[in-house]
Amino acid sequence: MTPGSLARLAALSLRRDRRGAAFSAFGVAIGVGALVFFVALGSGVDRVVREKVFPTDASLIDVVPPTLSLGSFLGGGALDQAAVDRLAELPEVAAVYRRMQVRVPAVSRYQGDFFGAPLRMGVEVLAVGVDPGLVQQDVQLGDFTDPGPDKPIPAVMASRLLEIYNKSFAPARRLPQLSRSMVVGFAFPVEFNRSYVAQVAPGPTTAAQAQVVGVSDRALLAGLTIPLETARRINRAAGVDADTYTGVALQAKDPSRVPELIDTVKRMGLQIDDQERRLSESTGAAVAVTTSALALLSILICALAAVNIAHALFAQVRARSKEIGIMRAVGASRADVQRLVLAESAVVGALGGLAGTLGAFCLALAMDALASAYLPPFPFKPESFFHFSPALLAGGVLLGLLAALAGAFLPSRHAAGMDPARALAG
Amino acid sequence: MIEAKGIVKSYRDGDAEVRVLDGLDLAMSDGELVAVVGPSGSGKSTLLHLLGGLDVDYRGEISVNGARLTGLPDRALSAFRGAHLGFVFQSFHLVPALSALENVLLPSFFASRPSAPEEAHRRAEEVLARVGLESKRDRLPARLSGGERQRVAIARALFGRPRVLLCDEPTGNLDARTGEEIIQLFQALHRDGLTVLVVTHEDRMSAAATRVLRLREGRLFPEAGGQA
Repeated sequence: MTPGSLARLAALSLRRDRRGAAFSAFGVAIGVGALVFFVALGSGVDRVVREKVFPTDASLIDVVPPTLSLGSFLGGGALDQAAVDRLAELPEVAAVYRRMQVRVPAVSRYQGDFFGAPLRMGVEVLAVGVDPGLVQQDVQLGDFTDPGPDKPIPAVMASRLLEIYNKSFAPARRLPQLSRSMVVGFAFPVEFNRSYVAQVAPGPTTAAQAQVVGVSDRALLAGLTIPLETARRINRAAGVDADTYTGVALQAKDPSRVPELIDTVKRMGLQIDDQERRLSESTGAAVAVTTSALALLSILICALAAVNIAHALFAQVRARSKEIGIMRAVGASRADVQRLVLAESAVVGALGGLAGTLGAFCLALAMDALASAYLPPFPFKPESFFHFSPALLAGGVLLGLLAALAGAFLPSRHAAGMDPARALAG
Repeated sequence: MIEAKGIVKSYRDGDAEVRVLDGLDLAMSDGELVAVVGPSGSGKSTLLHLLGGLDVDYRGEISVNGARLTGLPDRALSAFRGAHLGFVFQSFHLVPALSALENVLLPSFFASRPSAPEEAHRRAEEVLARVGLESKRDRLPARLSGGERQRVAIARALFGRPRVLLCDEPTGNLDARTGEEIIQLFQALHRDGLTVLVVTHEDRMSAAATRVLRLREGRLFPEAGGQA
């Protein structure tokens, strides 16, 4: 029996019992649809977590001084320039970006027009200085270098901070929504070595203007990211440590060499700040576990659909015993009969899988539309909660096909094994 | 030519073994129209199934058209059936959901070297015309009379240009007039050179045969009658 003959005969056979075929396909569609829907939801949420909530660069690791240090006795200790130089010489390292926190408190007191809305506010400000290369790609205005005293300090703000402002702070305070391009160029006053709550350093208070020059995933989440030399200058002016670094970001030559690099850094007596990475991983794991549980439930539905197909096909094969006898009489082999039953089920399964996948896709669109219309804005609220990869779409159809074939296997063997003489005589 | 030697066929009935065919021999030449007669349960249909390779659980040897069927694997036996044999049954055995034309086309799906769909359609229409049903090609079996259904079944049997037609009580479910028409059709096919073996218990069918054999106690015996 050629594949073309098999396809034509399967189509003819399915035509006879459209309702039965539709019922079996419906069972497959429910299982496949549920699986595709939940996997797409899990994949979409995981994507938001990894790309928006905890954006991590796979080739970047943050090195910090050890919490408890025995100093140079064990080769570890403060992150001074000598330590940075040693890190830069490691064979796995492509680039080194130093970080130095502004080690005095700072406040920003703002009073005036804030993008068309009046604003009066005073906040404590954290600031960290970084080597320009770390955020250079996100700088949109001027140079990210120390401008010297009495000139606006270029500052990069975190993209997540902008998201939190837009989705939480702005609606609560009735302030305008801001885009990335709007905030670039915005200037505001900052006073270093001044605080409402913390103790200040013995040095003088330094007043300056900070100007947002870019928005970056690599910037400090709750604070200002400023040029390293600016931070060093402010610390020096306040009479605090301006020589050691609070952290170093190491860019690995290859993401696959990151574990090796981490081991080397730890052997040097330094620590890795992987809090964000671990948060991202643990959140991703929680999403994966939930998705897996729901996917398992969906696979169970697919298995039930396969059992339903098996049950229906056993009944159908019994009812079609004479027809099978006729087919054998006109030249069908046992293998032909088995192939025909499997082909009919394959069509049912593939159509069910396709319908389920399309159904899941449409349901996801509807859910996204409902979420967009009725869910209040919140930080990192995605445009879509779902991610349909081509592999998932193809997998949905394939799962329907496999479920149907699994359900049809035993009935097809039963059909093939029928005694044609008995079937025709009965 | 059909040749069967020493055929033994038994059924199990509880603990007992019922021997339906018991050392049966048969030799049929090409172009013969042979009727096998005998009472119900004598094993006529069983013999037909054995000769057609539908039942392979027997002892003895069967050859058809020079090919030894005994011991052939299922695929080869099925291919042989499709290429050399045609079956006609008492209950017509048409597929209810398929039209007359589609029923006739059924063997084309299992051919090892199928002709193009257009060619198969042309052949199906040709054999339907041969049995006088070209105008009812699109009708479902339920909308055909008993005689018409049997004609469709004969057309299906003729589709693959078989050299041997095996018929199991082909007039058993038909009224006298329709049965007579079917018998005339078999005679015409026989005149065209087809070898026809009919198992029947109807005198009018056996009267049309060139040779009549009676199945008794598991063996075939020549019977007076027929046209030879």
